[in-house]
Amino acid sequence: MSRVRRVVAVGFLSICCAGIGAEPARLPADQMAKAIRLDAISIPTPGELFTALEKSGKINWAGQYRGPMPVTYSNRAQIALNLGGLIADGFIAVEAKDGQQVKNIGSDIIKLAKALGVSEKLLGRGSSINEFAENNEWDTLQEELEATQNEVKASMQSHADQDLVILVTLGGWIRGTQVVTSAIVQNYNEQSAKVLRQPALVHFMQSKINEISPELRSEPLVKDVSGELGKIEKLVSSPPGKTPDIEEVRKVNEAVGKMMQEIENKEAPK
Amino acid sequence: MKRSLLIPLSVLVLAVSVPARGDTDAEVQARKDALDVAAAFSNDGFKIRDGHWCGIVKPHDHSLVAVNLYAGNQYWFSAGATEPAKKIAVSVYDETGKQMTTESYDNAEKAAAGFTPSSSGQYFVSVDLLEGEESSFCLVYSYK
Repeated sequence: MSRVRRVVAVGFLSICCAGIGAEPARLPADQMAKAIRLDAISIPTPGELFTALEKSGKINWAGQYRGPMPVTYSNRAQIALNLGGLIADGFIAVEAKDGQQVKNIGSDIIKLAKALGVSEKLLGRGSSINEFAENNEWDTLQEELEATQNEVKASMQSHADQDLVILVTLGGWIRGTQVVTSAIVQNYNEQSAKVLRQPALVHFMQSKINEISPELRSEPLVKDVSGELGKIEKLVSSPPGKTPDIEEVRKVNEAVGKMMQEIENKEAPK
Repeated sequence: MKRSLLIPLSVLVLAVSVPARGDTDAEVQARKDALDVAAAFSNDGFKIRDGHWCGIVKPHDHSLVAVNLYAGNQYWFSAGATEPAKKIAVSVYDETGKQMTTESYDNAEKAAAGFTPSSSGQYFVSVDLLEGEESSFCLVYSYK
């Protein structure tokens, strides 16, 4: 019997045993409030979001590409937000199984990361991304992108740039949500729209932004993005079991599209 | 490269390449054990998330982490603990605190819970010490 089958067989027995006579246990509210919340495990990657979206049907991932973006920003918050967005673009190119696009994005990720002064080790990641893209190793590429994102964040933390980490995460979430809402609007179905309900996730990112230094928080771009995030939290806070309709999805798409435009175009003053 | 080779290779890379700053030796070992459990699900197409949560499990106490899951995806939450833990369990609760029905894998100081959410949103994953004394643990998750 394979290892997975053994696992599932044991699991089935556990479910049966747990189901005999007992009411499911409940967590008290104070324990839930005290639960650990970590960027590395509480915030899903763009890859997870795209995997969920694909369950409802084939997605035209290549149709979600955006044009080349400048990699010459000088504002660090703007670089961090765009870096997150580019990493999400990398996941999109992997979903599209487009090796050349993955290589182009990988090269831009390295340029932006270097502009933030992150570790030289990232150059090695760039080579790996190229190699995996040439060999069509899509699963490995997805892992490599995730590892690249984590390495960027770890390097930021070691350079006392931890305030920028949440901006990388946020940039990725905004770009991922823009792509997903665009795909859902193009071909609406309830199953795909279900992925948009994420009130706690948006709330968590907002709370992390509130923890960054007052100087960074008062930068116009960060201030605008934070303000928009508050509006988006309301849009993605439907009750459990209620699926957003197409108009609600369109509203989220417009809101994240506006944020993305600002992140890409606005050269925020230092 | 063949998938059968890629899975153990990627688990090895995850285990050795990105140790979080501050992880103790016990946490590194617990993480390796958690990744061993998760590797079994990789054979079934689950991708291991490059992130982990290490901490301490105590008797009669839930060690809880909040996660945000997507309807449509399937998840496995895999945990490993070190001595003196003898037996641990992993459970999943929804945002109201109600325990979810999960598939489960229990093997002494290693355990996992498999869950497919019907609604997207926040869930809580609990690692509980069933037998033994306070010890280090680590949790990873995988999805497909």
